[in-house]
Amino acid sequence: MINVILTLLAPIIGGFVYGIERIVKARMQKRVGPPLLQPFYDFFKLMDKRPLMIHSLHALMGIMYFIAEWFALAVLLLGNDLLIAVFFHVIAVLALVIGASSVRSPYSVLGALRELMHMISYEPLMVLMVVALFLVVGSFDIRDVLAYEGYPILRLPLVFIAFLLTIPMMLQKSPFDIAEAHQEIIGGPEIEYSGPFYEALYTGKWIEYIYVFTFVFLFGGSHYWLGVLLVILAFLFINLLDNASARLDFRAMVKFAWGFLIPMAALNVILLALWQ
Amino acid sequence: MGTLVALNIIIPWIAALIIFFLKKDIITNVLTFLMLPILIITAYFAYIQPHPSLIETPKWLDLLVSIYDFGLLSYFFYQGIIRKNTLISILATIQIIFLIIVLLMMPHSQTPNIYVDDITVMFYLIVAIIGVPIAIFATKYMDYSEKGKHSFVAIVVWFLGVMNFAVSVNNIEWFFALFETTTLASYIMIGFRGDREAINNSNLALWMNQIGGIAILIALMIFIKYNGVYHFTELLKHPEFVSMAALGFLSLSALVKGAQMPFHKWLLGAMVAPTPVSAILHSATMVKIAPYLILRIAPVIKGTLLAKLLIITTGYVFVVAAVIALTQDNFKKILAYSTISLLGLMMLAAAVGTPIAVTASLILIIFHAFAKGFLFVEAGVLEKVFHVKYINQMRRLIERAPLTLMFIFFGFLNMTFVPFGTFIGKWMMIEEVSNFLQHGSYILLIIYVGAGSAFLSILYMKVLGISVRKAHGIEKINWVKLPKTFNFVSVWYYVWLLAITVFIAPFIVDFVVPIAKSIAGKPEIYATGLTLHMYDSTLYFWQILGALIILSLIHILPYFVKFKADVVHPYNCGEKFPRHMETWNFECLAKYEGYFVAFSIALFVMVVVLGGGLL
Repeated sequence: MINVILTLLAPIIGGFVYGIERIVKARMQKRVGPPLLQPFYDFFKLMDKRPLMIHSLHALMGIMYFIAEWFALAVLLLGNDLLIAVFFHVIAVLALVIGASSVRSPYSVLGALRELMHMISYEPLMVLMVVALFLVVGSFDIRDVLAYEGYPILRLPLVFIAFLLTIPMMLQKSPFDIAEAHQEIIGGPEIEYSGPFYEALYTGKWIEYIYVFTFVFLFGGSHYWLGVLLVILAFLFINLLDNASARLDFRAMVKFAWGFLIPMAALNVILLALWQ
Repeated sequence: MGTLVALNIIIPWIAALIIFFLKKDIITNVLTFLMLPILIITAYFAYIQPHPSLIETPKWLDLLVSIYDFGLLSYFFYQGIIRKNTLISILATIQIIFLIIVLLMMPHSQTPNIYVDDITVMFYLIVAIIGVPIAIFATKYMDYSEKGKHSFVAIVVWFLGVMNFAVSVNNIEWFFALFETTTLASYIMIGFRGDREAINNSNLALWMNQIGGIAILIALMIFIKYNGVYHFTELLKHPEFVSMAALGFLSLSALVKGAQMPFHKWLLGAMVAPTPVSAILHSATMVKIAPYLILRIAPVIKGTLLAKLLIITTGYVFVVAAVIALTQDNFKKILAYSTISLLGLMMLAAAVGTPIAVTASLILIIFHAFAKGFLFVEAGVLEKVFHVKYINQMRRLIERAPLTLMFIFFGFLNMTFVPFGTFIGKWMMIEEVSNFLQHGSYILLIIYVGAGSAFLSILYMKVLGISVRKAHGIEKINWVKLPKTFNFVSVWYYVWLLAITVFIAPFIVDFVVPIAKSIAGKPEIYATGLTLHMYDSTLYFWQILGALIILSLIHILPYFVKFKADVVHPYNCGEKFPRHMETWNFECLAKYEGYFVAFSIALFVMVVVLGGGLL
């Protein structure tokens, strides 16, 4: 039941998560920060704006990104196969990239290409993570993972750390906010969207929060308190990292993912496979 | 059954002869078109007949094949001399010598020479449904300022007959003859335009494929010497006694035919030929012999060191070919690299050899054939109607060639995305291999599959991104009227792909699973309604349909949706925007190509030496 509610209300809950994030980040910088409902105020303001677009394809892809993101979340929470959910996420990336590269704007196109670099950094790792969970739990079914008696985190510490460091790549946080890079390419794929169409993209990002943190939650197995604890810790860690680090080059990101994170996760999986 | 098999093989040969000798436009067009229903019907009747069945052939056919072999090899030798390419002549000479040795050694055998089982019939259907439309496409394509239309179409049709023959033989010596015949056909077709580049590339294809021929002959000698058999069915009967060295050489020939690195250059060279050649080589024929051969020997090599080395080699090619594809700027070359890459995946799945892996391999073969045939046909349309060959010429394709771009978009979606067949193949592979992880280490394979599919996705997204780019307001969509033949072939593939994808669960369970069962035992795959189950995992129909709708909206809707919003120029921070933009060419990766190839040579040697147990 809770998964149906979570799926249906994902944009709203995601909005709250984003609101909390802005407050947390502000407090880390000794600021007061915006009110909790600020993302929703933004939402209504954006909806009220005069709709402007470059062309229909671009605007449509923004909306498709939102739909695909939401559908990927539905597949994750309502379906039963984690691996399929990982591959569904690629459809959202497709919409985002096609939209962003459909306008003749250097910032947008550069953002789209960098988005692809993000994908080759985190996609294999997501697959590896799901396989690692399978190795512990013995099933790809999300319900089986959530009913698992043991503590997956204890057997997959390296995979968890690797995933924790991958989250900034998925959620566009520093040091891996390379595709968005506000000070450099002004939001990348987002730059040419405005008004209601930007709103679709903006809300799509909120859903991505739920999508990513659901995977973090899975590391708690059937001990939901642990899952919640991990989510909170991961959330704080990501924001701390975001505040404390400067942006890296995309080459550094790909090298880091391929040279460090994937081997680390693979090592964990190999050791676990040999141990069992 | 015998008659049906004969019909499947002989009809294309006869049609090719008629087309070749009459050289009349109307006959070429009508006959090629008629091949579609005729071959589908004969293939279908072969499919519903009880099989597997062994078919006796008359004695004189044996003799004929041997004579034909010598004729063919002499022709290669002769070609080497007139083209002043000693390598070709030397390889042909070696083959002639080896063939004589094989024929002298060959004991008498009672086993029939034709063996028709589920894989064979599947290939009949693939050739009929996917191969023939390419011949139809060629009839129109060659009208665009190309010479020698009739002989070209005749060769394409003949090739289909050769392919049908090659997948039905049981005698490995016959298989060698047909293997070399496909080499001959590709040699003629690649060199068809007769210019310098075409000649060079056809020479390349000839000598590389002859290495595959030599490998088969060596395998044959070892089989006869140590096992005294030279039929596929006999090998499968006694898996424990079969010589590993011979299987190693047989796999080597598959790797060469499947254009795996470092033998990938011949398939890339094929792009100088008219586009239907690439379409036919990549989709229904030629390269598909490679996974076919591995599937044939899969029950014997399953779990051996040879299989593991094959997995490492082909998996490596799967990733590296996708990486190199990123650096290319020629559309046909990009498609060729992605074929090399996916062939690696097919052979990898076949080499794993468990029931589900074999199912995955078959699914990949079928869907790759559809999608690649489709994409190459569209590449041909782009080349002839819109004069586009390089991806940087693909700018604004959305306005100039809307229909073609839509088809290309759909073809690309078929190559990686949920819920299409290629995705299902990969999904099955990952889940299947995850099961072995519990008793061993196939971790490399999972990284291969995850990474390779990510690289292929970004490759396709990069190409699509270029073709939809427009400064502002996509308004003047120019619905160019394309020739009816082109539209027929495109829509044919499109509808088949769409229909199979919607009904993918029953398709896999009712069509693919029985084939896999006959090779490797029953896979644990079943369907309830349109939902697919594998072990405990489920691909629900709502997921298939949802993904299909979202992807359809992404690739069709842009032409029809017009939002009621004001159109503006890109904001671009108020800066002037450039007149045109390039895309990353991934130059930084190109310099590693040499290392990639060098490493693949090492893997190749390992497959034969260690896998074959030569040490």
